Amino acid sequence: MTCEEAQELITALIDQELPDAERVSLDSHLRLCAHCQIVLEQEALLKQSIRETAQRVRTPNELRARILSDQRTVAKQNRTRRQNLSPLLRRARPALAAAAIIAVLLPALFFFRATPEPLAAAALESYDRFRSGELAVSKTENPQEIVERLTRAVDGRFHPMGYDLTGMGLRPVAGLVRQIHGRKVLVAIYQGEGGTLFCYTFIGSEEDTPRHAARFYDAAKKMNFYAFSHGGLNAVLHREGEIICVLASEMPMEKLLALARSKAKSS
Amino acid sequence: MSEEGKVASARRDAFAAEAMVHLDHLYRVAFHLAKDATEADDLVQETFVRALAAREQFEPGTHMKAWLTKILHNFFFDYYRQRKRWNSAEEASKVESPDLENFAASNPGPESHVLLKELDAQITGVLRNIPVEFREPIVLIDVSDFSYEEAAAILSCPIGTIRSRLSRGRKLMHQQLKLYVRGEPTSGTRK
Repeated sequence: MTCEEAQELITALIDQELPDAERVSLDSHLRLCAHCQIVLEQEALLKQSIRETAQRVRTPNELRARILSDQRTVAKQNRTRRQNLSPLLRRARPALAAAAIIAVLLPALFFFRATPEPLAAAALESYDRFRSGELAVSKTENPQEIVERLTRAVDGRFHPMGYDLTGMGLRPVAGLVRQIHGRKVLVAIYQGEGGTLFCYTFIGSEEDTPRHAARFYDAAKKMNFYAFSHGGLNAVLHREGEIICVLASEMPMEKLLALARSKAKSS
Repeated sequence: MSEEGKVASARRDAFAAEAMVHLDHLYRVAFHLAKDATEADDLVQETFVRALAAREQFEPGTHMKAWLTKILHNFFFDYYRQRKRWNSAEEASKVESPDLENFAASNPGPESHVLLKELDAQITGVLRNIPVEFREPIVLIDVSDFSYEEAAAILSCPIGTIRSRLSRGRKLMHQQLKLYVRGEPTSGTRK
């Protein structure tokens, strides 16, 4: 056997695809050929490197959301958000069930909305204006003052979420009240070394979600989370009773989703 | 919605959810076949659309990962390659190799995270640069863990072709990455 003839066999040996008969011949050659022994080691190392490099490649969140909101990949029949995920999971195959257990968060089904401009999407306009400098806010050092002022603006009917995000380098710096589609929306603005985050709170339902939003079901909390993007801004909506909370930020969607999940309280 | 419609909708949803389990795998395949991230995104998205449209052809209990990969492969060749939007073998052979010598000299050390990222970029770059007929077996076997038999079925070619192209492809990669693979085979004597 020549080194050239051994080359393909070395490839198959590394992949554990070499038939026994050829294995015997190759072993004989390798015992006598230092060159091919090195080729074997190098090719095995290369295979390992390719594999490890590839494992670090992950699907971008935006692509995941795009696929799940693609009109061609969702059922044509009209759906409602009241569909229960559990029966689907029961019908799903074991591989899916295993993935769900591992991931906890299961990319679920997607729905199209009839509302042309849902409140959650419209609310993001304030973030855009803030980002471009068009929206001036008076900042305060007192978080409690923000909560009290916003709560008074809606006559105490509800209050901003008041999340403590100091662990992420974010603290509340200002509060706004916006009137959108006839409804009052409380806006708590967080800033710090962690960037900027808006927390919108209003009375509503999951129908206020933009139609292109991707829905994720948190099996542990038994809650839906809706992820959507707008002009480079990521947002995650969830519902606590009759209160809708939307977190909006330029931070990666995965991080924002994790934040929303960690802070949300089951209704 | 009628009961029949509900059942059909639920089946479709279950199929879509099962297919989503393989999303990362499909993205990795597309990532290494496409010439850039945007085209990889398009390739994966279209694969899902085609898979859902053809879901009745999928036999439950069979290898969904391989079935989805074949759809992706077919789309890659039928559409993109014909329209020359992707790196064809001819185009790829003209792509210049990365400047590995300068890269190796400017990196701080093998333990550094920066080097790891750069190494990833180099391996990915070299893989994308080799002709597609050699690249695909590497993507299916080294990246995706398919067997030779499964790869042959996906690419519609004999197993022997997979083995020879894989061997040739790794050799091409090694030539371009030789600065990273220590111990050039120069100490032994070729027979």
